[in-house]
Amino acid sequence: MGKSNFLNRYRIPFAIVIVVVCAASAVLMASRHEEVGTKLFTIQARQYAYEPPILHINRGDTVRIKLLTLDVVHGFYLEGFGIDVHVFPSPPRMLLRDETYPDGFREIEEVVFIADKVGKFRFRCSHTCGPLHPFMQGEMVVGPNYPYYAGLGAAVGVTAAAFFLLLVRTRRSKHR
Amino acid sequence: MSNAERSVDEMNSAFVDVASNSEQQTAPRLDILQLFPWLKKFFQLRSFQFLLIFPNLVFFYFFILAGIFGSPVGNRNIIIIFVWIFWWFLLITFMVPFFSRLWCIMCPIPFLGEWFQRGALIKVRDRMFGLNKRWPNYLSNLWIQNIGFMILGTFFIILATRPFVSAVVLGGLFVLSTLLAVVYQRRVFCSYVCPVSGFLGIYAMSSMIELRRKDSDVCARCKTKSCAVGNQNGWACPWFLYVGKLDRNNNCGLCMECIKTCESQNISLFLRPFFSDTQMKGYDEVWKAFVMLALALIYTVVLFGPWGVLRDWANVTEVGDWGNFLFYTFLVWSFSLLILPALWALTTYVSKIVSGSDKVLFKKLFVAYSYVLVPLGLCAWIAFSIPLVMVNGSYVISIISDPLGYGWDIFGTAQFPWSPFYPEYAIYLQVIALLLGLGFAIKKGYEIGIQHYADEQLAVRSLIPVALFSLIITGIFLKVFTG
Repeated sequence: MGKSNFLNRYRIPFAIVIVVVCAASAVLMASRHEEVGTKLFTIQARQYAYEPPILHINRGDTVRIKLLTLDVVHGFYLEGFGIDVHVFPSPPRMLLRDETYPDGFREIEEVVFIADKVGKFRFRCSHTCGPLHPFMQGEMVVGPNYPYYAGLGAAVGVTAAAFFLLLVRTRRSKHR
Repeated sequence: MSNAERSVDEMNSAFVDVASNSEQQTAPRLDILQLFPWLKKFFQLRSFQFLLIFPNLVFFYFFILAGIFGSPVGNRNIIIIFVWIFWWFLLITFMVPFFSRLWCIMCPIPFLGEWFQRGALIKVRDRMFGLNKRWPNYLSNLWIQNIGFMILGTFFIILATRPFVSAVVLGGLFVLSTLLAVVYQRRVFCSYVCPVSGFLGIYAMSSMIELRRKDSDVCARCKTKSCAVGNQNGWACPWFLYVGKLDRNNNCGLCMECIKTCESQNISLFLRPFFSDTQMKGYDEVWKAFVMLALALIYTVVLFGPWGVLRDWANVTEVGDWGNFLFYTFLVWSFSLLILPALWALTTYVSKIVSGSDKVLFKKLFVAYSYVLVPLGLCAWIAFSIPLVMVNGSYVISIISDPLGYGWDIFGTAQFPWSPFYPEYAIYLQVIALLLGLGFAIKKGYEIGIQHYADEQLAVRSLIPVALFSLIITGIFLKVFTG
């Protein structure tokens, strides 16, 4: 079997391999050793934003968050970590959703958790706070952000694989 | 696109094109009505469209009333939850990619106007009421829809969060559609004015179904052209189409009147591969693709981004910062109508240079290659809509028990808590949607290149800048969603 025949016959598996290799390479390039430690944040909530809007942390970090609100009652629902806190303006206090308590909440001083997953996780307001409440959100990026790099690598891979398939097709047409 | 194409009067000149059109249809397709004859019988019922529209009409009126008299808080009012979360998600992720303009069959907005024109809800009459004027030729394009969608897009953050504003806009579209039906022929509102119809048309090109003739020769021999002019079995095509020449999904509202009227039973519904229509016909359609892609990015950044300041700029009625709102409006309009088109022009110009051929005009490449913005845009909108329903979908459960936010509990679900459905996994679905969009964009770009260049190698070379543009756009969306 000639080289072009071989490529033509196995073009689809080759294309898949190109996408997978590109995605995997991007993930490997993103891999790095980061110091694990404790990250402290004070987040101020207001209609319809959090300040700071983006938290950057590393996998394995212990994250401690103190929440304040500058106007009305807001929520802090962190996707992927099952954390839901309601923050009150005066007196300032935080209530963590906890179904084991009679009214479903317990008062806390700060939110504490270990960032054991990587990627981008949104935190959103979980207490109706005004017309734009459903869009009040911020982001926590836990590095290394493998899902992002894998996606980016796969996108490059899809482009490369598409051109590989086109080249195989062009060669095949030429032979004919 | 000229009005002449859609004009019944000029159909005869179109007959010569019928055979050549059929030869272009090389994609495999499956006759759905042959497989499911009961579906054909359902389409042939005179009451078919009324049966679909009527329940929607009842809901539509209820939503309008809810918007006016119900809670002003968006997530406690059924008009916001059902229209901007539930309906939008179904429309963009399910109806358009799989069923073309399915929504247009059941849309309640043109109901009253069409009823007035026909003077009947179900049966066919031999004349139409109203002034029956012809829509001006210079407006027979998508520009009104483009501008309308830009205006709605500029105020979208207000529209999608204020029940009263939603009710006024939807009610206003209902009134406008009725007034236009009184003055003009058939569905000019749907064809040339409705802001939703414009993007439905462009994205319906991606759909897995198409309504077409079975045999072009039968159409060429047909003397009556009943599908276009109507007969005792059905009305003239409300969308000004002649199926004998129909080669794209863009303007077909799938009302099925032509299936009722075709005396040769030569019209059917076909299953086909995704993104089978690839021909963009004019700058109005190209700019519609720009507007849709740009707004997908802008909405994602403003609504789902972490930057509250952007929401403050857009949320002018609450914040009152008119200066920054005007700046935001300038950014939205200039990015959608100028900057993105300029980047696209640069891309297609480089395409022409890289191909090394002078035989294809730059203008032709600019329009033809713009089809790649359709899979990119549609998949970006699907990616945008995934978290919308995964995060806020649970509001549907509580709102059905208390649709007006009055404290009712009709079905015992009013207290159902806001429960996001695995929102942390939304990014994986978004990545898949974006990659599919990129893959289809490059594949279709190649098919378009082949139509314009005699040599495959020239087509591949010419595709490189277009593919890089698509990759960069995909990368930007990946960054916003997952980075």
